[in-house]
Amino acid sequence: MAANFWTSSHYKHLLDQEDVDMVNPLDKEKGVTLEDFKLIKMHMSNYILKLAQQVKVRQRVVATAVTYMRRVYTRKSMTDYDPRLVAPTCLYLASKAEESTVQARLLVFYIKKLYADDKYRYEIKDILEMEMKILEALDYYLVVFHPYRSLSGFLQDAGLNDLSMTQLTWGLVNDTYKMDLILVHPPHLIALACIYIASVLREKDTTVWYEELRVDMNVIKNISMEILDFYESNRMFTDERINAALHKL
Amino acid sequence: MAMAAPGQLNVIESPSRGSRSVDCFEKLEQIGEGTYGQVYMAREIETGEIVALKKIRMDNEREGFPITAIREIKILKKLHHENVIKLKEIVTSPGPEKDDQGRPDGNKYKGGIYMVFEYMDHDLTGLADRPGMRFTVPQIKCYMRQLLTGLHYCHVNQVLHRDIKGSNLLIDNEGNLKLADFGLARSFSNEHNANLTNRVITLWYRPPELLLGTTRYGPAVDMWSVGCIFAELLHGKPIFPGKDEPEQLNKIFELCGAPDEVNWPGVQKTPWYNQFKPTRPMKRRLRDVFRHFDRHALELLEKMLTLDPAQRIPAKDALDAEYFWTDPLPCDPKSLPKYESSHEFQTKKKRQQQRQNEENAKRLKMQHPQQHTRLPPIQQGGQHAQMRQGPSHSIHGSQAAVAAGPSHHYGKPRGPSGGPGRYPPGGNPSGGYNHPNRGGQTGGAGYGSGPYPPQGRGAPYGSSGMPAGPGGPRGGGGSGYGVGAPNYPQGGPPYGGSAAGRGSNMGGNRNQQYGWQQ
Repeated sequence: MAANFWTSSHYKHLLDQEDVDMVNPLDKEKGVTLEDFKLIKMHMSNYILKLAQQVKVRQRVVATAVTYMRRVYTRKSMTDYDPRLVAPTCLYLASKAEESTVQARLLVFYIKKLYADDKYRYEIKDILEMEMKILEALDYYLVVFHPYRSLSGFLQDAGLNDLSMTQLTWGLVNDTYKMDLILVHPPHLIALACIYIASVLREKDTTVWYEELRVDMNVIKNISMEILDFYESNRMFTDERINAALHKL
Repeated sequence: MAMAAPGQLNVIESPSRGSRSVDCFEKLEQIGEGTYGQVYMAREIETGEIVALKKIRMDNEREGFPITAIREIKILKKLHHENVIKLKEIVTSPGPEKDDQGRPDGNKYKGGIYMVFEYMDHDLTGLADRPGMRFTVPQIKCYMRQLLTGLHYCHVNQVLHRDIKGSNLLIDNEGNLKLADFGLARSFSNEHNANLTNRVITLWYRPPELLLGTTRYGPAVDMWSVGCIFAELLHGKPIFPGKDEPEQLNKIFELCGAPDEVNWPGVQKTPWYNQFKPTRPMKRRLRDVFRHFDRHALELLEKMLTLDPAQRIPAKDALDAEYFWTDPLPCDPKSLPKYESSHEFQTKKKRQQQRQNEENAKRLKMQHPQQHTRLPPIQQGGQHAQMRQGPSHSIHGSQAAVAAGPSHHYGKPRGPSGGPGRYPPGGNPSGGYNHPNRGGQTGGAGYGSGPYPPQGRGAPYGSSGMPAGPGGPRGGGGSGYGVGAPNYPQGGPPYGGSAAGRGSNMGGNRNQQYGWQQ
């Protein structure tokens, strides 16, 4: 939804990293570490994406759903709010909020198709009930700004809007939803960080362009480092580790 | 403080996040009703603050939280403007509803979610329908300017309201006007590539492009509705009271002329053009029909009621119109008189009651029920009210004394939201026109036989027996609006009533008794 980001609830609700990294006491009791916490959220982001590909919704819906899910876990425990139900429900809610409604029964159908595991099995009524709890947890703030919008504007402005750069940066932005960046940084800075990484990879000189933007390059570089760190550690995120983390709940 | 019943969670005690319980409020009175849900005036127990509670109806929702409510919440949470209603919070009802038909089991949220709004004393329709109510020119300008300011803000924030009408314009006793009921609102992108539904906006205020089936549209749809309201304020009653879509279009064409490729390039490509295209040539007669309006008002109205949405004036430009910058200037909202609370829901209820009384009185052969003791302008007001009411009554009649007039601002008939809205299809409007209290005459004669001598033009608004086929619903005078002036005074414009003319009001002469003359 377009409006002024700076006056939005999204902007006002941006969090500090340490608030995002707080493992809920209830989960901590069960032995969930910060690492587990991050792993589960990443896994659920992937779950949302997989489900979204089945029901065919836009990337924007996925991004909004993941953001909802991550926001929920800054306030609620995974013990009380089973991620395996929260994830599809966030997609359900986001599909409404982003005007690409997906029927609950369709989601239930594809959940069963994707995961044979009984722990993922939820029915329509579970989703509807969780929807209400999520709405409350989100305090009914449903508007989310994403880096995609500013991304294309920036690329054009920088003269980098060729297919290769567009695809690379777009993919990078997609990957940022496997992290909590969207809860911490304004979306346009995330977009700039992705462009920064892409331009280094593709050996494009963007120094002058970034100077003219008058943004704090330290912030951009920090976000970029976070993204690169994530890529670095990504190969260690094995299914076994994810399952072990989920098992603690 | 309200405590949750034993065995139930006390939502109030849950930590900062999450919603409070509706038990934090004490319901005082129902002020609105619609398919969307009821609206109550309520008092926050802790602070004593008066608020409006709009219930989100959750039953019959197989798809969980209604998307209409999601849209409304999403939009209201991002709009912060003095001319847009403020959503204060959302509260839930802990446990099963006590005041409902009681559904003990099932989803605990079923039927138990309320939006909490700031309370507003009136809505524009309710206020205008008050017996004897007359707005002054500066007052109309003041309301219109606030309406346009609020709408401009929405449009800048890429929100289409899609249900602008009098009962959705709330007015407080400080004279502030706020847009309310964003249940049909949607965000739009400037790319205009989204297909939107054309089944929006209450029929009487629906623009021609939607009636012709367009699904790609923009802020201009709201501006048409504003034009309808503007004309209604000046004219004293709704200007396009169609009872179904074809009649609606016909009424529009009769006043605004038939669309063609000259005045509306591309109109022939609209989905339903061939189905609804006028069968005879119709000239634009808006200037003629409303020639008695103030020059600047007419100029602005012309630009609002422009058939081609691309040429219709945007809110921003309307605010720059001469109308708002020439004497008499819009007044300061705070200078407006304070009125006892009036919502369309309530005024309807009152009128219903009054009608009931009058029916009774008639049965007792009392020839002059209370309305007759009023001065002419008030009498007209009464009549006006019935005109407006006509169609709705047919349903309410069947609901007997339930007094559930739909269509209050916060919640109103959503059902056929795009459909005829509060004016059900097929409801024979004539019922309203011949109402017994209209001077004690019994039914039959249409309103031509009111206290004023018939103008010999037939009933302009298709009273009973006049089919609303294209081309000829209007009897004698030929082309409906052709009779121009004489057509209208019969309807009794309440604001521009005859006697006791106020300021610019030309009283007395009935052939010029509508609206504001200068």
